[in-house]
Formats: sequence, structure tokens, C-alpha cells
Amino acid sequence: MSSNELDSETKLMAVIGDEDTCVGFLLGGIGEVNEQRQSNFMVVERDSSAADIEACFKRFLAREDIAIIIINQVYADLIRATVDAHVLPLPTVLEIPSKQQEYDSNKDSILKRANQFEIPWRCSCIT
Amino acid sequence: MTADNCETDRNGAAELLDSLYLDMFHLIEAHTNCRVDIERTNSNGAILLARTKFQQGGNSIGTAQIPTENSAEFNALCRVVKDSDTGNDVTVERLAVDKENGYVEPLHWFSVLPPMSLRNAADKFKKSIELVAESTNLQRELNAVLNGIDRLRRCAALK
Repeated sequence: MSSNELDSETKLMAVIGDEDTCVGFLLGGIGEVNEQRQSNFMVVERDSSAADIEACFKRFLAREDIAIIIINQVYADLIRATVDAHVLPLPTVLEIPSKQQEYDSNKDSILKRANQFEIPWRCSCIT
Repeated sequence: MTADNCETDRNGAAELLDSLYLDMFHLIEAHTNCRVDIERTNSNGAILLARTKFQQGGNSIGTAQIPTENSAEFNALCRVVKDSDTGNDVTVERLAVDKENGYVEPLHWFSVLPPMSLRNAADKFKKSIELVAESTNLQRELNAVLNGIDRLRRCAALK
């Protein structure tokens, strides 16, 4: 399978978030523990370190059965360099707000990338 | 290549770039609106979870009830599939509960008889999962547009 395209198989969503976010998405039915005892969710506790979050994020990135990684923006901020370094469309990394912090579009990796493109004066119809 | 041809190519590239920039702005707007919808839906779900905790006890809904990597294996009820209509987009496929084959009902991790507030919370998060799929499609489209702008600007030396 090409790493840039979704093949015909079904894939999973993974979630890295606070307790309410994980419980909520698991209630929605995305949770799975596979034969290798790998789960597709990580509840970030008070004693979880940025290194723990980063290790989990990299583990999810490496799994071929995961198509979408949902991460609370507050935890994405802790591993910003790793999140920004992932530019492939699959798995797609979605930063979502949490109870602690509302969504800030200025921090979102994809929108930060969009902001880097200045509009050149040669474009014909943009006034 | 004549000077006229060169000028025509440059104008064509500039028009294409205009079109890509407009797409980018529309996608940014849709992407941000979708995130706001996710935020609102998740907040409503969290309020219902809090109501359930209030009714059932503070420890009734939390990390202690959800499975761990040491739990028995189970399969996700909600999966991501390629949208057969559009080809590139993703959509959410929801499978039926089938305990014998590992498709378990998540509500039953928390309560044998789940209260209405917990059922409503689950519905909110199911809606949020649909929004996540929509947001994924927008983000992938935005990424493709940004790649297109980048390539075109390099080719046309408009930087």
C-alpha cells in the first residue's frame, strides 16, 4: 500500500487525549485492542510526560492500520516538533480542543503551513 | 519558446495559482468551522458525561472502566473506509455489535443498564466522530492544495 493513499481495507481512528476525550470517543466505538495487545487510545494522565505522549504518537504513526490520529491540541503542543514534522496525508493528524484549552487555529500544524504561503503580487484576480 | 508563449504560460500559471489560493481560503474556513463544531459537540458530550457521573457517582465513568492493553481483545465498532462515491475521501463505517466476534457495546463497560444521559453522551460523540471524518477530508484536501501552490510557485518562480 502506498503511504499516501487509503486502500480498500477498513482502518482505525486513534486518540490521544484527556480522560473525557478518550472515554467519549471510546463510547463512540473507535476503541480496539488487537491480537498483539496494542490499543489505539492513550489517556493522558497528570503524571504522563511529553516523552510518553511522543512515544505513543510515534507508535500510532508507524501502525498501518491507523488512518486518523485525534489528539487534544494541548498535548499536541507538548510534542509540537514531532506533530509538525508529520506532513504525509496518512495517517491524518487532527488536533482537537479539550476541556483545558479551546481550539487555537494559529497553533494547528496545517494552518501554520497555510500561513507560510504569502500571496504573490503576480496573482491575477486577487485584489 | 517565443516571448508570447512564455507570457501565456506565466499568465496561465498565475490564474491557476489564483484558483488554488481561493480554494485554500475556502478550505481554511470550512476546516475552522468543522473544528468549532467538533468543540461544541464534544463539550455537549462532556456535560452529559458529567451529569452521568453526578447521578451514578464520581468514579462511575473514567479511566478505571475502559479496557487496557491487558484486557481481552476487542474490535472497533467504528472504522474508517474510503468513500465509494468520491474515491479519495474517507467516511465512517459503523458495525453491528457482535459479542462473539469481539464487537462489544462500549456502553456496557460503564454500566449494565446505561442511564439515558450516558446514551445521549455516546450519541454526541458518535456525531463528533462523523465530524472528525469530515475534518479529515478537509485537511487532506487543504494539504493537497498547499502542495499544489508550493509546486506551482517553484515552477513559475513566483516566489
